[in-house]
Amino acid sequence: MATQVKDVIIKPDAPSALLLEKHADYIAAYGSKKDDYEYTLSEYLRMSGIYWGLTVMDLMGQLPRMNRQEIIDFIRACQHECGGISASIGHDPHLLYTLSAVQILCLYDSVDAIDVDKVVEYVKGLQQENGSFAGDKWGEIDTRFSFCAVATLALLGKMDRINIDKAVEFVSSCMNFDGGFGCRPGSESHAGQIYCCTGFLALTGQLHLVNADLLGWWLCERQLLSGGLNGRPEKLPDVCYSWWVLASLKIIGRIHWIDKAKLRAFILACQDEETGGFADRPGDMVDPFHTLFGVAGLSLLGDERIKPVNPVLCMPEDVLQRIGLQVDLLS
Amino acid sequence: MAETEEEVDVLVQRVVKDITNAFKRNPNIDECGVIPCPEARYNRSPIVLVENKLGVESWCVKFLLPYVHNKLLLYRQRKHWLDREALMDITCTLLLLNPDFTTAWNVRKELLQSGVLHPEKDLYLGKLALSKFPKSPETWIHRRMLDKSTKQQQQQQHYGETEQAGAERSQQLSDQLARTLHQEMKVCSDAACRYPSNYNAWSHRIWVLQHMAKGNIKVFHDELSSMRLWVSMHVSDHSGFHYRQFLLKELSTELSQTSACIPTIMTSPQHQSSTVPSSCSHNHSHTQANGELPGAEAAEDERQLGFHTVFQLFHEEMELCSDLIQSFPGHETLWSHRRHVFYLWHNLRKEHQQHCSINGGIMSGHPKDSDLCLPDGDAQSCAVRGESVNGQRQASEPMEVDGASLPEPCDSKRLKRGVLLPGPPALPSEHSFVSGVLDRCSNPEQRRFALAYKKWLDTVIGQQP
Repeated sequence: MATQVKDVIIKPDAPSALLLEKHADYIAAYGSKKDDYEYTLSEYLRMSGIYWGLTVMDLMGQLPRMNRQEIIDFIRACQHECGGISASIGHDPHLLYTLSAVQILCLYDSVDAIDVDKVVEYVKGLQQENGSFAGDKWGEIDTRFSFCAVATLALLGKMDRINIDKAVEFVSSCMNFDGGFGCRPGSESHAGQIYCCTGFLALTGQLHLVNADLLGWWLCERQLLSGGLNGRPEKLPDVCYSWWVLASLKIIGRIHWIDKAKLRAFILACQDEETGGFADRPGDMVDPFHTLFGVAGLSLLGDERIKPVNPVLCMPEDVLQRIGLQVDLLS
Repeated sequence: MAETEEEVDVLVQRVVKDITNAFKRNPNIDECGVIPCPEARYNRSPIVLVENKLGVESWCVKFLLPYVHNKLLLYRQRKHWLDREALMDITCTLLLLNPDFTTAWNVRKELLQSGVLHPEKDLYLGKLALSKFPKSPETWIHRRMLDKSTKQQQQQQHYGETEQAGAERSQQLSDQLARTLHQEMKVCSDAACRYPSNYNAWSHRIWVLQHMAKGNIKVFHDELSSMRLWVSMHVSDHSGFHYRQFLLKELSTELSQTSACIPTIMTSPQHQSSTVPSSCSHNHSHTQANGELPGAEAAEDERQLGFHTVFQLFHEEMELCSDLIQSFPGHETLWSHRRHVFYLWHNLRKEHQQHCSINGGIMSGHPKDSDLCLPDGDAQSCAVRGESVNGQRQASEPMEVDGASLPEPCDSKRLKRGVLLPGPPALPSEHSFVSGVLDRCSNPEQRRFALAYKKWLDTVIGQQP
């Protein structure tokens, strides 16, 4: 009985060279030619969308092509009375978009455009007694939000404002037997959650709590024959998971455990030669989300045409140097 | 047709009303979706209700969504007033089309808080949204909020009762809780069937058990039984298997602390080591405790009994896993499950041995021999297990090899209960299982996973302190 292997086959004519100019053109044009319907569908995550677009432009050295003032004004308009920031105007504030907004403002070196003290109060107010963080005032708990909270505060230089010991305790309680992490205690290991948790532990200086060899093993098993990485066993490879797994491996000092050349070939094959941009898998539709993670992945793999990316915050290293944030990784 | 702004306005208002009316006409709608239909057919509503299925013709979605979306955002910015009825209708339409629109769910949360919206209504809306978007994170998040507030409300009502009314109320509450549990499990199952390895569905299911059935051995055990057939038919679904790992872990923790429901679990027909997938879920009445044995001896007795129940659960899980690995070669999920189950068992056994040796007696003669407290790690036992690779069931065969190595008093305790258990998983038997697979199977994927498992046993388990 033949088993259907869950992987993709990279065609011989798939793109194998990095098409940076095309990607920059794709991002620069994105948003201007969107019809009402498409725009509406994704407005609930607009702030993160802007972060993806701007970060990939910065990594490619093309940030000046974007409309800085318009974006800063937009972010200012999205800050609410409580200090939290929403995905777009008229939407409710949430930690996810608060982090994206702070990341964007760091790229532009304009954190002062918003009320920073209020952001800090907002984040602090979402910490629960057990150390976890709610995503917003409605109380959903997820290790993703623990990451958002400490990443936001780290970028603002205010990490001391929350109970870090408790926060670490909660994230540690989500660790599984395979060395990975899930969204809550008892939940399945998932590459996206692992990225958040290892990133969280890096920012809080607690990476010694990770069983790096065991987790590294699980992460390496995400690499499929095509070279691409998936996020869990028997899922298809995907450019965004390639980033989350690769960044986690970098954070725990095990990036040399995977086949970098094959991963690079997989990521390059996900480019669209005509439109620019990256898709989740070869031949699929491109979007800014996968374009950022494709380019960021290639940066971690050492592509010299792209600025070095920080694996924890997914931002250019030079931006973090400028704001004086140094994150220690395992070696 | 609809070209001008005014025309769109009229059209969309009619469609929103049609959707509301469809729900009034048929309160049992159980699925909704978009019907591919690029052009409007003259003078007919784009809302189609066939039996319990609600369809929206695709041509109208591009008018409908931006309209309701913008209406809600204007309301949110206090630029446009909407009364509660209109808010409920608009958010309903909006969320059926775009269930990850967080703010729309938040508007409904506020309506719930002010008491104008019943939680049941939103559990239903969520169920419908999941029928089309089974992963939608925001829909699952909203559900958890609903479940939490329902539970809180029930508890508050309970505190307000007099003692006598309280007893009656208490029964009502547990019935209500059982209904909610059942409903949530059903929603999770449906979503799990619609999208493979649905992380959000399965982690919700775990959350529900943690919040509504913590420590309830019967519920956990029924879940384990009823999921058996499902995982056997979804051997690539890593999340489904992780759920079983979660159940096993909780059950083993609970059972080693209490003995309340052991007798029924021990004697249930399901647990005669059947390796045939079965979806049967039976009623365990776990009200009677296992006798009234006094003092520490009784406690220890019960502990042992609890441990043997756990032991049997693990044995059955490994049997199931072996069967599935052999029937469906080359599935990473199954090998990953094997790692986790073995790991759980291995650690539990270590703990148990420590307990035995601390409490004296059991390990007194062999304080260092970790394999003597339980009948495993035996080369002959491995050989028997190896044969099950060929399809022979060892469950019906008495484990005479085990009998030979059974130590006191675990052994006598077990014999006293009249239950003879087959060999549990142990390191040598796992190696033997891997060799069996490598000897017989030529599927390259299967061989790769078998070798990875062997390496995992050697490094992760073998090097444990």
